[in-house]
Amino acid sequence: MIDIQFLGLINATLQAATLLFIAALGELIAEKSGVLNLGVEGMISIGAVSGFITAINTENLFLSILVGIVSASLFSSIHAFVTVVLKQDQTVSGLILTILGLSLSSLIGKKYVGKKLNTKLEGVFDIENPSNIIEIILGQNIIFYIAIILMIVTAFVLKRTMFGRRIEAVGEDLKSADSMGLKIGKTQFIATCVGGAFAGLSGVYLTLSYVPYWTDGMTSGRGWIALALVIFGGWKPYRTAFGALLFGFLEALGPRLQTYGFEMSPYIVKITPYVITILVLIVLTIIKNGNTGAPKNIGIPFFRENR
Amino acid sequence: MNKFILSKKLYRNELATFYSFLIGFLIAIIVGSIILLIQSKNPFDVFSLMLKLSIGSVNSLSNSLNKAIPLILAGLGIAIINSVKLWNIGAEGQIFFGAIALNFVYINTSIENSYLYIFLLLASGFIGGSVCILLPALSKVLFGVNEIITTLLTNYIVFGLTIYLINGVWKDPNSLNFPAAAYVSESVYLPTVFGKLSSGFLICILFTLIAYYIKDKSVFGYEMRIAGGSALTAIYAGISAKQKAFIAMLIGGGFAGLAGAIELLSQTHRVSTGISQGFGYTAIIVAAITGMRPLGIFLVGSLFGALAIGGSVIQTIGVSSYISEIIQATTLFGALIAQFFFSYEIKRVEDD
Amino acid sequence: MKNPILEAKGISKSFGNIKALDDVDFFLEKGIIHGLLGENGAGKSSLMNILSGIYLPEKGTLTINGKLIKRLNPDLASSYGIGMVHQEFRLIDSFSIKDNLTLSKSNIYQNDFNEAFSKYSDIFALNLNSMTPVSELSVGEKQKVEIMKLIFNNSSIMLLDEPTAVLTPQETVQLKVSLETLSQEDEKTIVLITHKLKEIKDFTETIYVMKNGKMVAKDLDTKTVSDTQLIELMMGEVKTSKFDKNNFKGETKLEAVDISFTNEQNIKTLQNVSLEIKSGEVLGVAGVSGNGQVELANIICGIIKDFEGRVIVKTKDVTGKGVKSRKKLNLSYIPENRLGVGLAPGVSVLDNSAIKEYFQASFGPHLSKNVLLNSLNDLINKFSIKAPDVKAEISTLSGGNMQKLLMGRELISNPDVIIAAQPTRGLDVSAVDSIHNLIIDQRDKGSAILLISEDLDELFKLSDRLIVMYEGKVVIEIETELATVENIGLAMAGINE
Repeated sequence: MIDIQFLGLINATLQAATLLFIAALGELIAEKSGVLNLGVEGMISIGAVSGFITAINTENLFLSILVGIVSASLFSSIHAFVTVVLKQDQTVSGLILTILGLSLSSLIGKKYVGKKLNTKLEGVFDIENPSNIIEIILGQNIIFYIAIILMIVTAFVLKRTMFGRRIEAVGEDLKSADSMGLKIGKTQFIATCVGGAFAGLSGVYLTLSYVPYWTDGMTSGRGWIALALVIFGGWKPYRTAFGALLFGFLEALGPRLQTYGFEMSPYIVKITPYVITILVLIVLTIIKNGNTGAPKNIGIPFFRENR
Repeated sequence: MNKFILSKKLYRNELATFYSFLIGFLIAIIVGSIILLIQSKNPFDVFSLMLKLSIGSVNSLSNSLNKAIPLILAGLGIAIINSVKLWNIGAEGQIFFGAIALNFVYINTSIENSYLYIFLLLASGFIGGSVCILLPALSKVLFGVNEIITTLLTNYIVFGLTIYLINGVWKDPNSLNFPAAAYVSESVYLPTVFGKLSSGFLICILFTLIAYYIKDKSVFGYEMRIAGGSALTAIYAGISAKQKAFIAMLIGGGFAGLAGAIELLSQTHRVSTGISQGFGYTAIIVAAITGMRPLGIFLVGSLFGALAIGGSVIQTIGVSSYISEIIQATTLFGALIAQFFFSYEIKRVEDD
Repeated sequence: MKNPILEAKGISKSFGNIKALDDVDFFLEKGIIHGLLGENGAGKSSLMNILSGIYLPEKGTLTINGKLIKRLNPDLASSYGIGMVHQEFRLIDSFSIKDNLTLSKSNIYQNDFNEAFSKYSDIFALNLNSMTPVSELSVGEKQKVEIMKLIFNNSSIMLLDEPTAVLTPQETVQLKVSLETLSQEDEKTIVLITHKLKEIKDFTETIYVMKNGKMVAKDLDTKTVSDTQLIELMMGEVKTSKFDKNNFKGETKLEAVDISFTNEQNIKTLQNVSLEIKSGEVLGVAGVSGNGQVELANIICGIIKDFEGRVIVKTKDVTGKGVKSRKKLNLSYIPENRLGVGLAPGVSVLDNSAIKEYFQASFGPHLSKNVLLNSLNDLINKFSIKAPDVKAEISTLSGGNMQKLLMGRELISNPDVIIAAQPTRGLDVSAVDSIHNLIIDQRDKGSAILLISEDLDELFKLSDRLIVMYEGKVVIEIETELATVENIGLAMAGINE
């Protein structure tokens, strides 16, 4: 018989990891195509608020997930338009996407602050009082399983299919990919929007399952941790998933430390994931000697006639 | 063959950044109006009210300029760091840390002469900002850790630290509902110079000139430009790009820390979560929109200060203050779109 | 011409204020090897980039197989069967050979890749596993993969931009055999772009010549056209100065003793290299790029510090010291990579003009813009640099003017030691000539000069002594008057007589 506390910790870990992982995986796809999108935080927020509003008004969870995904994806197309079509600086555009996303979702969600959802995403399998880890996993909701499928599909597509190799080729070497006849603009635009869609799904998971309400700034830096996760995972889906579990564990562990006998201010506990993220990034960069495995042409606007 | 071709302009109009800003601002006003219309508010009424309450009187104008101080200072810091092509997304945290450092020094020291004391406190704010960026700066120059992520994550750490302090060791027992540290003595308040305008604004003008000098007129600024242009050229020229980057980051962080110190001594008079309301993020927009030019940052910062004041007052008529944030962000997006047309031209090919 | 497979008429293209192509006509006939001759900067690459859809022309028409082309981009170009091998390879380094060969949508060997790969590996004498990452290949192997890529993409028209620039004379011969096989057996239409006369005569059946963005001769029969005719077409009337070699040589100014260096990838790029240059002497360094020349230059100039051996400038041992110690001894370095190392992109002409001695314009922390401007105006006058706007970005200058600015900046202090790497690469004839004169002037003023170049003509013309580098070693050292192109060429290929 496993301790209930521990099961609670595992459950919280899986949930926190799911949220971080989906957003990170989306960013990974965009970055593979050479587009750095620092707007993850904003996109999650847009997905979260639009999904939540739809759920409150329609009580249709499927529709809510869809709306969350589509609106975040549309929102990310601003970044795609500005950086891919108009070839402007990706860092600036991504940052502003975050700022715009946060203020826009606050504006849209203002009337919904404090409202409670009547429906919530339930576990796929109906398990009451789970008593072991398998049951905890089986008790996760549909988005958890979607995340696993997305991980496998993304890893497979990027490494094993021509379609995925072409996306990667673009991010590695824009000029070579272009001279091979690959469509740089189209690939990057689509990859960015797919990244946005993933962030939207992560946002929907936040408001329909993780904390089923809406409040300003509730993404609280998860988008940024997702960005760090991509670096942590060395731009590889499975390693990113491992990183997400690790960070999810830290996030879940924080509020439970006391129950394990550690006396720590809850305020300090709250900042530990951020501290650890920074430390992990530093250690990782040192171990890999600065060569983190980033796509070589990430962040470079492409203009074919550039000499 | 192809009817239209895109080509890069060899020379950009010198005023391209300024025109782009104007176009961006126009686009933002249009977007803002649409959002207001959706909320069935009359944009004309709302904007004229914002205008009136942000620059319509000496009082409101000085409020706006006071609001501009942290935007300008943090923006200048971001611009100095960007000279070496690095990004400081951590200005928000540095603002808070500047205030924390100030309070720490204030609690542990006491100086009779209040001018000297104010100077010391401002200096500790500046140093606090530098300390706050120390870890990202060191990890960048020593190991090449991505500074965008590390500076950003420090924001969350410092904000958490602030909450910890004002709920714990620094908690003022008299502040019941709104946790905050104790007020500083009135003797160290920054005096006002004109209406409600804080003398912090004069400091702000001074630092704008300092930033301009560093970037455009100094040997250090020159070395930063070369290092920012090409790391290999810097090595070739015997310029230590890492050293320049490190110093630039400390100075830039200091600028933001100073903003926090001024905010504390002139506005909040104590450490609280109200030290910054996202100034560090808005400062990124301000810096980026001006192409990292100090004098431009001063002007756009002032405008955005007015916009923020305008945004906060229209809440009284039931309009969300987020409108001004959306306008600020959209201005930069609009400016980016306009920049495209200043950097590229679309030529129509003659028919044969 | 009877039945052209490709016909380009009236093509014009400009970049900023530079007219790269001016009303150019070009025809290709199926199954034969065409030569496109011209000096560096004549517009050959621009024309090829237009045919392969990378640049869009401002004027002109293109007809392929009798069909007028309405739209073009690299994808469409490859669907019309046009493929190009660029001077800088278009291979994705971290991908395998197989990925690189099959990524394009026009790839025809999707299913029977292995058979095709072994067939063409034989033709190109390539002995590699198709899963090897491209980053592990030598330059010569990369080029073979590049040409194979065109075959895999079913290109019937193959445009090869200076394919021999990176090859040893022996590899060049092998390339010739492969290309003949392709044109005769597979009926490939091939364009060989080069500025080397000998190759164009060896490889091709018909010759086109470009000069200053114009097509000055079309469809010349290789068998009947004479060398002098081609030189006149290609260069116009240029008096290439012949330099007096009776220069006075003084005391030793630069000495490198037993230099060895292992790079970050743990490859030993330099092994026991020693050299000595006297005042008033030019030492030429020949070799195919990537045989340690760049590392040697960087060590002498203080950029690389973790090497074995000693560097002595003007009798002072500067081993272990940095760039600034060399600057104090008045050593100048003109790096191979003009824009990116010698000049900082994105930075103004003015700022770039001061990189060597900006500290002379400083007063404490202050940098005087007036002093910088005055020295720049000096440079502009002395070296006749065309710089319309000194506050504009450096890339607004043409290649020749950039190089003059760089050379001028490094030479104006009358340096004791000069390291010049590929100083004339990519420049037009008149620019090359003026740069050669600058180098000889400095020689006569008593500088010790290390000249690294791939251009044998240049080396023979300017150097007093020659060394050849191969795989990080000096394989031959010889007085220029005793050297022949043949023995230097063999040494470049690593073959000892």
